[in-house]
Amino acid sequence: MNKEEIRQRLKDVQSLPTLPPIVSKLNQMVSDEDVTAVKLGRIIEKDQVLTSKLLKMVNSSFFGFPQRISTVSNAIVLLGFNVIKTLIVTSSIFEVMQSSDIGLFEHSLGCATAAGIVAKKLGIKNPEEVSTAGLIHDLGKIVLRAELPEEYEQVVETAREQDRYMREVEKEALGIGHGEIGGILARQWNLPERLVYPIEYHHNPEASPDYKEISAIIHFSDILIRALGFGFGGDKWVPPLDHNAWNRIKFGKKDMTHILEEVDEKLAELQDFTLDIHKDEGTES
Amino acid sequence: MQRIPIKLAKPGMILAKEAITPEGQVLCGAGTELSQEVIARLIKQEVLTVTVEGHPVQLPGEKGLTEKLKELDHRFVKVKNDPVLRALKTLIAEFWVVQEKGEDFLQKLKKTKTR
Repeated sequence: MNKEEIRQRLKDVQSLPTLPPIVSKLNQMVSDEDVTAVKLGRIIEKDQVLTSKLLKMVNSSFFGFPQRISTVSNAIVLLGFNVIKTLIVTSSIFEVMQSSDIGLFEHSLGCATAAGIVAKKLGIKNPEEVSTAGLIHDLGKIVLRAELPEEYEQVVETAREQDRYMREVEKEALGIGHGEIGGILARQWNLPERLVYPIEYHHNPEASPDYKEISAIIHFSDILIRALGFGFGGDKWVPPLDHNAWNRIKFGKKDMTHILEEVDEKLAELQDFTLDIHKDEGTES
Repeated sequence: MQRIPIKLAKPGMILAKEAITPEGQVLCGAGTELSQEVIARLIKQEVLTVTVEGHPVQLPGEKGLTEKLKELDHRFVKVKNDPVLRALKTLIAEFWVVQEKGEDFLQKLKKTKTR
């Protein structure tokens, strides 16, 4: 399979049931300037399953809100519509991932947590958006796994056998890396560029046409979360650091220690969250 | 200190951090000794985990410090020549040592290494 064939396959992903019809409705509404968070919230809240999933996500520890968010319109006000939309678009994907690849799910949640903490430390506006970019940075892997399971398995296996980075093997075997795949899809779903670029360029953030700082944060958060050994991102190796990206955000020993403390604390809470999910699965079945 | 699921909390354990509900409400402060009644109340208030002093419970799948440090080294094998990442690795290792054995232990460890 070559790059073009893969692109073709990805085009079809849009029509899969993974994208709830509510998203296009919301997109239309958002382009209407008179729309309010309350109105949007009301539309979303009509779908009870989606609402409960959404509230579970926004209340999980990686956004780090001290108070519980209990309505969708509140969530929209607090997190911004970009974040809510992204969570809706990706909610069904994450559902699949929770049951099929808990390691990648934990890696994604961990990266979201670290990215939010780093973004706050840097004083970036709307750190929740950066968290969300962290949450879906490996979208490409998730989609590869779901759409081309045999190829994905082969890539993971080869990476493991030859002790290599997964993305090296991806490029060799498929002609395209998971970053690029994630970018294609995120764009197809009309996610904002602030989210598309960090997904697409999380391994080479300096190549990003824009939002280089957010891309650098995701790049480093991915490294940090792998360094800590939380979750499993497809291979066990800490990826190389882009030093130009690092220079955009770099921290001294003291700040870095604070970040580690905070990340460690939140990761422990995240384990509660994922335990909770396991528990839910247990009671449903 | 150790973070444990509330199910594994036993009377006599001492809280190393305050116990907080999912809503963020503090129920009891650090230093509180757990009793059957306190544990029951925490469960009722939907507290999922507590952080207690010492390391009283061996959790399933939990790794010892030595093993954690060995795996940490291994994950960094491909980037071992990067000075920034080497510093990050050292920082994580020290963080874990302090977390499990305390600051004094780390200082002693550093002294024996430089000697």
